[in-house]
Formats: sequence, C-alpha cells, structure tokens
Amino acid sequence: MNTENNNGLLIKARGLKKHYRRGIETIKALDGVDLEIRAGEMVSILGPSGSGKTTLINLLSCLDAPDGGELEVGGRQVAGLSEEELVGIRQGVLGYVFQKFHLLPTLTVAENVELPLMFLQRPVDREKTLAVLRLVDLENRAGHLPRELSGGQMQRVAIARALIADTKVLIADEPTGNLDKANGEAVFALFRQLVAEKNLAIVVTTHNLALGALADRIITLEDGRILEEKINPRV
Amino acid sequence: MRFIAFAFKNLFRRPVRTGLTVLAIALAVAVAVSLIGFNIGYRRSIDVSIDKLGFQVMIMAKGCPYEAATMMLKGGTGLLYLPDSTYEEVRKDPDISAITPIFVGVAEKEASGISDESGSSFAIISGIETASFRDMKPWLTISQSAGHQGGRWFSDDSTGEVVLGFEVAEYEQRKVGDSYFVTITPNGQVEPVMTELKVVGILERTGTQDDGTVFMPIKEARRLFNRPTELTIVGFKLKNFSGLALRQFEQRWAKLPEVQVVGLQQVKTTLVSLVETAQTMIASVAVVAIIVAVIGVINSILMSVFERTGEIGIMKAIGATRSDIFQIIWLETMAICLSGGLAGVLLALSGTSLVEKAIQSLIDFGTKGTMVAITPQVMLAALVGSAVIGCFAGLYPAWRAASMRPVEAIREGE
Repeated sequence: MNTENNNGLLIKARGLKKHYRRGIETIKALDGVDLEIRAGEMVSILGPSGSGKTTLINLLSCLDAPDGGELEVGGRQVAGLSEEELVGIRQGVLGYVFQKFHLLPTLTVAENVELPLMFLQRPVDREKTLAVLRLVDLENRAGHLPRELSGGQMQRVAIARALIADTKVLIADEPTGNLDKANGEAVFALFRQLVAEKNLAIVVTTHNLALGALADRIITLEDGRILEEKINPRV
Repeated sequence: MRFIAFAFKNLFRRPVRTGLTVLAIALAVAVAVSLIGFNIGYRRSIDVSIDKLGFQVMIMAKGCPYEAATMMLKGGTGLLYLPDSTYEEVRKDPDISAITPIFVGVAEKEASGISDESGSSFAIISGIETASFRDMKPWLTISQSAGHQGGRWFSDDSTGEVVLGFEVAEYEQRKVGDSYFVTITPNGQVEPVMTELKVVGILERTGTQDDGTVFMPIKEARRLFNRPTELTIVGFKLKNFSGLALRQFEQRWAKLPEVQVVGLQQVKTTLVSLVETAQTMIASVAVVAIIVAVIGVINSILMSVFERTGEIGIMKAIGATRSDIFQIIWLETMAICLSGGLAGVLLALSGTSLVEKAIQSLIDFGTKGTMVAITPQVMLAALVGSAVIGCFAGLYPAWRAASMRPVEAIREGE
C-alpha cells in the first residue's frame, strides 16, 4: 500500500469534527480541525485539559471515527469505515504510545515488542526485534520481564513495540505523563532521533510546554479548535 | 491457533486464581468420572458375578426380591428355606439340562486369630452336591500352590470336611489340612455349637462371591444347621434358554406354594436398580458441581477481561481484530477447562481405590472385583466434555472482550 503521496503526506484532516452527547447538551470536542502530517516531522499538540487533544489523537490514529469532515490516513479515507476496516488502516501504518505502558507482564521485552506481528500475521524476526530494541537502547534487556524495568525503560519498550511493524506514523498520547523529568526528556530525545533517522512522522500530545517545544510544529488547541500553529525555528 | 502460547502465558498472570479455577473444574470432573466409572464398573462386576454363578435360573423361597438377589452374591441374612420335595419335583422338568441344590447357612467364625474390626465375624457356609455343582461351575479348580498342595474336593458323604474359597483361606491364613472352627446355632436350638472342620482343599481365585464362601457337602451342612430336608436355592440351566423359555418355566413352577422363580437377568436388573437411586443423587451432585465450576470459570475469565481492559484496548490499537481478541480469551477459557478436565481424570484415577472403599462401605449390595472402572472411553469423554464446557463458558467473556471499543478500553485502562 502506498501510504504517502508525493509530498510525504501521511495524514490529512479537513474540517474534522467530533461531537458527544451529554444529556441534552452536545459537547463539541473537535469543531473543524484542519491538519496535515508529513513523513519526517514531529508535531506536538498542546492545550489545556478538555481542549480536544486526546479526541484529535484518537481520530488521527483511527481508534475512533469522526462525525464530520474528512480524514485521510495513509492515502485512505477514514470517514464511514467500520471498526474492522479501521483496524486494516491502523495495521502497519500507525504505531501508538500511551501514558500507561500496558506491557504484558508475562511476556519478555522482546515478546512484547513482537506482539503486533502476531496480530499482523507476520513472521517474527528476532534480529529485527533486537535492531528495534537497539534503537531505543534496550537491546541488552530483550529477555527481561517488564517488572524488571524502570518506568522510562518500559516506555521505551512501548515505543519499540510501536515501531516493529514498519510504522509510518507514531502517535503518542501524553507519553511522559508517568515519567520523571529526565526520563521524559529522554523519550522526546528518542522521538527526535527517530524522526531524523527513520523519517518517521510523530504526533505527540503533552501538557509539558518545554517538551512540546522540541517538535517541528507546535499546535495549540482550545475548545476543539486550533488556536495556534507554530513552526519551531530552533529545530 | 497462533494465539495458543500467548493465551497460556496470560493464564500465569494470576496463578492462584487460575489454579483455583482449574481445581474447581478438576473436582467436578473427578466426581463425574468416578461416578461414570462406578456405573460401568458396578454393572460389569454384577455381570461377572452373576454369570459366574453358573446357572441361568434359580428357585428359592418367596421373599424380598432384593434379599434374593443379594443372597445370591453375599449369602444374605434372614435366609428362607424350601422343602426338599420342591427339588425332587422340579428336577423332573423336561426343559432342564442341569440342576444343583444349594443349602446356604451363616455361621460364626471362631479363633481366626486375627483382630480386624473391619472384617466380618460371620462365615457363609454353602452346602453343595459336589458333582452337579462342579458341572455348573467348571471353572472352579482346587489350588495346588504353596500351602494348598494335596487339596481335593470332598465326597458328598464326608463329614467335617470343607473347601475354602480363596479369600477365606487367605484372610484366615488356612492351609490344606488345617482346622477351621465355626459356631452354628442349629435350627430349633438356642445354644450354639462349635464345630471343628478340616480344610481339605482351597479354591483358586475366581473373582466372584465364591472366593468368600466355605463349601461343604450339602448333607453335612443340613445336619449342622439341623435342617435335614431343606434347601436354600435350586439352580438350573435350561436346554434352550430364552426369555420365552424362562417365562414358560416360571409359569409352570409358580404353582408351587412359597416358591419364586428368579431369572439371573432379573437379579442383575434388581441389583442395578438398588444403586440407581444413589447414582442419581451422586449424578445430581456432579451436575451441580460442574455448573458451579463453569460459573467459576466464567467469573474468573470475566474478572481477567475487566482487569485487562486497557491492555485489550492497546492490543486492538496495535492491530488486533475483534476475532483475534475473541480467540485469545476463548483459548484461555479452553485451556483452563481442559487443564481442569485432565487434572480431574488424574484425580479420579488416583482416587479409585478410595472411592471403591467408600462405595463398598456405603452400599451393602457390593460385588467382588473392581467396582470403579475408568475406561479410556470415559477419560476421553471427560476431556471432550471439558472442552465442550470450555467452548460454552468462554463465549460470553470472549464476546465482551472482543466488543470493547479500543478508545474506551484504553481510557478505562489509563
């Protein structure tokens, strides 16, 4: 599947809307967001709680379907697709990192990283697994169980798990929420490295303005709309 | 099938909970397997015991049919007697191919020298007519093994001589030539009389009630019990045995007062019916145990699904389809049920002797030989049954897990 167009465009959103009903009230979690994500760029999404960050990331990652607007991921239109069809789009294109690591405690680090391959019905290549673990500096921990790792290391395993299936876009929702300052900075440094070395697109939400400022583009949301979009001149 | 190893590993996350759930299934399966094994074993045992009585039909005094049935196998109590004239009359029947009169009496054992509370203090004395009895049971042979050398049958006119069944000799530690003391209260007397009998032969093991019987000439038995013209049973073989022939034979001899004609098939049916009520009750307990265990499995797997809501969301996010999640949870349930089934079969196999002892102490209509027969078919059926239970028990938790929406599942897990 050709997941990029000529400009390296991986995700394209136009007038993206997501509304929720709360009693008789309609909550406009997203109210017309336009966004493009290209290969080799890191985009951070900032904003206060309730601004629509997580809703936007759920839509971009095809975990949820929009109520209005257009969304194209990896060259395919998302609107109106069933849950199983959304799985098809996610597989092999999108990788996820969440605030909570959700590593399976009975599997080793290597087995956790290889988990997506089981669902994609792809053969496991331990050399490739070790290469991905090397990327996140955990090659020597391949045989360890998650409980033997620190929080920062577990998040790096989660990142490796997100990369194993030749992911094009890494979507990270508050990936440093459970980490201390040093580990949070290490994760963002790793993101920068992945963008540079693997030409990966990374979309990351964070409450931490300092970390968010490390992205190529910084998008600030408020009340379900884009309040501000800045190109980071320092990167 | 690619998820089998993964599903197994998931079960080890909560080893105690998984272990207890497996144990519940194992106990339920063990009860069910033991029950089915008992059913098969008991029927087989009755078949062997009855077939080895040697005769197809018997005539005995009218009385409780259960007593008639058990008297055949264990000697019974409260024996009823037929007049000798009945035997003389019936033996003229043209349809009879073989006939043997038997006198059964119960004596008290003396000076066995063994103190065992579980052992019976009574001996079943069977007075027989040697030639016709041996014709009826050609498999009865006198043992010539160590301590049994020189053994022989007694003659019909001998006095004070007995042939011991294998188990009697073994339990009483008697050899050929030893004395065997019994105390008999003769009919019409109050004072019991102790009698010294000489062991002239010991039978090879037959696996039937004969192993626990003391044989002596019928004339001598009648004399000792002071019933010189009475019999307990008359056993027959018919020339052309069939249900019709048996009914015709019954009709012919039902005219005799105080006599009942009993076919051995009827005895089998009676004995089986004796334990059917108990079996139904045990089966009900087994069914309830299985239902409780299944509910336990569903509960355990559901808890596991709810605990892993976030993980299920992540698995869906990284590419798992509804079908994948369904298979994983369903396989976990199957693994628990199959492990429980396997453990239950092993438990039932290892507990067979214990179950047999318990049954024999509870049911007075026991037979010789193995009463619990856990056949390969029963074991296979238990495993297949466990798999079927797993199939159904896993459906709801697997469906719940597969139906979770990834966004909500991840949010709940955060």
